[in-house]
Amino acid sequence: MFLKVEELSKRFGGLVAVSAVSLDIEEGEIVGILGPNGSGKTTLLNLLAGLLAPSSGTILWQGRDISGTKPDLIAALGIVKTFQNPQLFAELSVLEHVMIAGHLALKRLLGFARSKTIFAPKPARQELEARAERVLRLCRLSEEAHRPAAALSYGEEKMLGVAMAMMCEPKLLLLDEPASGLGQAEIVNLGAVLRDLREHGTTLCVIDHKVAFLAEFAHRLIALQNGSKIADGTAQEVLGNQSVITAYLGRQHAGA
Amino acid sequence: MSAVWLLVPLYMVPLVSHNEVLLTILIFTYILGILAIGFNIVFGYAGQLTMFHGAAFGIGGYATFLILTKLGISFWLAMLPMFVVILLLSMIVGWVCFKFRLREFYFAVVTLAFAELIRLVVLNWNDVTNGTLGLLVLDKPTIWWPGRGVVKIDGTVPWYLLTLTALGAVTIVSQLIVRSWIGRNFAAIRLNEELAQTLGINTFRYKMLAFTISNLFAALAGALFGFYSNYIEPAQLSITQSLDAIAMVLLGGMGSILGPVVGAFLLTGLPHIIEFSAELRAATYGAILILVILLMPRGVVGLFSRWRHVS
Repeated sequence: MFLKVEELSKRFGGLVAVSAVSLDIEEGEIVGILGPNGSGKTTLLNLLAGLLAPSSGTILWQGRDISGTKPDLIAALGIVKTFQNPQLFAELSVLEHVMIAGHLALKRLLGFARSKTIFAPKPARQELEARAERVLRLCRLSEEAHRPAAALSYGEEKMLGVAMAMMCEPKLLLLDEPASGLGQAEIVNLGAVLRDLREHGTTLCVIDHKVAFLAEFAHRLIALQNGSKIADGTAQEVLGNQSVITAYLGRQHAGA
Repeated sequence: MSAVWLLVPLYMVPLVSHNEVLLTILIFTYILGILAIGFNIVFGYAGQLTMFHGAAFGIGGYATFLILTKLGISFWLAMLPMFVVILLLSMIVGWVCFKFRLREFYFAVVTLAFAELIRLVVLNWNDVTNGTLGLLVLDKPTIWWPGRGVVKIDGTVPWYLLTLTALGAVTIVSQLIVRSWIGRNFAAIRLNEELAQTLGINTFRYKMLAFTISNLFAALAGALFGFYSNYIEPAQLSITQSLDAIAMVLLGGMGSILGPVVGAFLLTGLPHIIEFSAELRAATYGAILILVILLMPRGVVGLFSRWRHVS
């Protein structure tokens, strides 16, 4: 079992943000999560990434219960999340961001022997830089490597978030609305990056509003409403589901 | 290793000048520079505003001297158990602060409270610390010198060389740390702790590390200070000690290796250079500090590195 979520709930005072959600994600799968604003999508991903502790329920990751585990340990176990609003280390360059994200890679590569790199940092740094350059190429950021991250466009900032997450070598990558706020060209770019990731065998769980964008490359969709799961299946099944249409698509179709 | 080479020419100073005042200013610069470098690691690099380094400085002096006299061992041997004491204290204080996720001013206030607690213990534990009167330190560190055997380090020039060497060692250690992945993790914690955590960095562990390194450096500086000035008193643990180091780091330049040493030199030397009456001198000193912090947010070193960058 790759990821198995059972009866997961999160309450903020009287508000139930996520209510008894159960779901499975198989290795190599791309799962899209959709739902209207406030349906609990981001809260769900934050629970999976350890940024929030669940009120009840369990998250089994490769057979291990990780509910309530701290985010750095969850990242080390292979679940990494990007942020909806890009989070940056303000004054650093793009490459430096990705180098910081190489922390886990270095740890896996050398273990305790990385203490030796304090005295001879060069080989480890070169190895890490080579990896960082690969990741930046994959995310179409190679040319920006030495620019300060603060000078990037919004879309590039979001891609930098993906690049940092990928540098952590995740087994499961959680993407929180990667396409929101992006221009058309940037969305095409993002789609290409996600397809590259799929070919690399990274398991993805993606939140997005743009249903067509999700349906295009996700193997499976999960729909949430008011914190509960209302549909789970192929794009056709979920988008054809009556409660999904009324809860989410219906409104959008009516607006269009 | 660029920064440490800048220190090498300083070994020549005693050959060129026998001016006691200059050499004494430099000795205090090097000792307080070590304290400031330590604070710069935890604040300038890892972004944690500690107020505990003053206490670590004072304990460094007291613990080294007390262990030396009680066990009858040398200065260098006595430093080892002293470092263990500092390590344990750093773990306790750091654990309390970082487990409760204290940040910024909350962290500053709680570390200050711990520092004051320790100062009050030292002040009132008369049997051991001699209270407000302090302790007279007549022992000196010793060194084995070819042809002369074990000799005491006494007098201005030997102390000059000893403190400069200690500063060099601390500079090398901090540079190695800062340039490794540890330094990258410190920067990540300073700039965006939540992001650092989601990227797999154990922020608790690295904050503890930065805090401990800072306190160990402070304690080394404190031990040298006590044995050089022959006197240890509770004031050496005071908030003023912490604030002086903060002023040095702000003045010299945060987040650069030798910035704090430049700050230490200016703040140690300035009061001697400004030949006003005592009250006017203190006021001038304060005014210069305020102006520098307002006009040069990256400190004196930052000013120079900007020039270099532009040209």
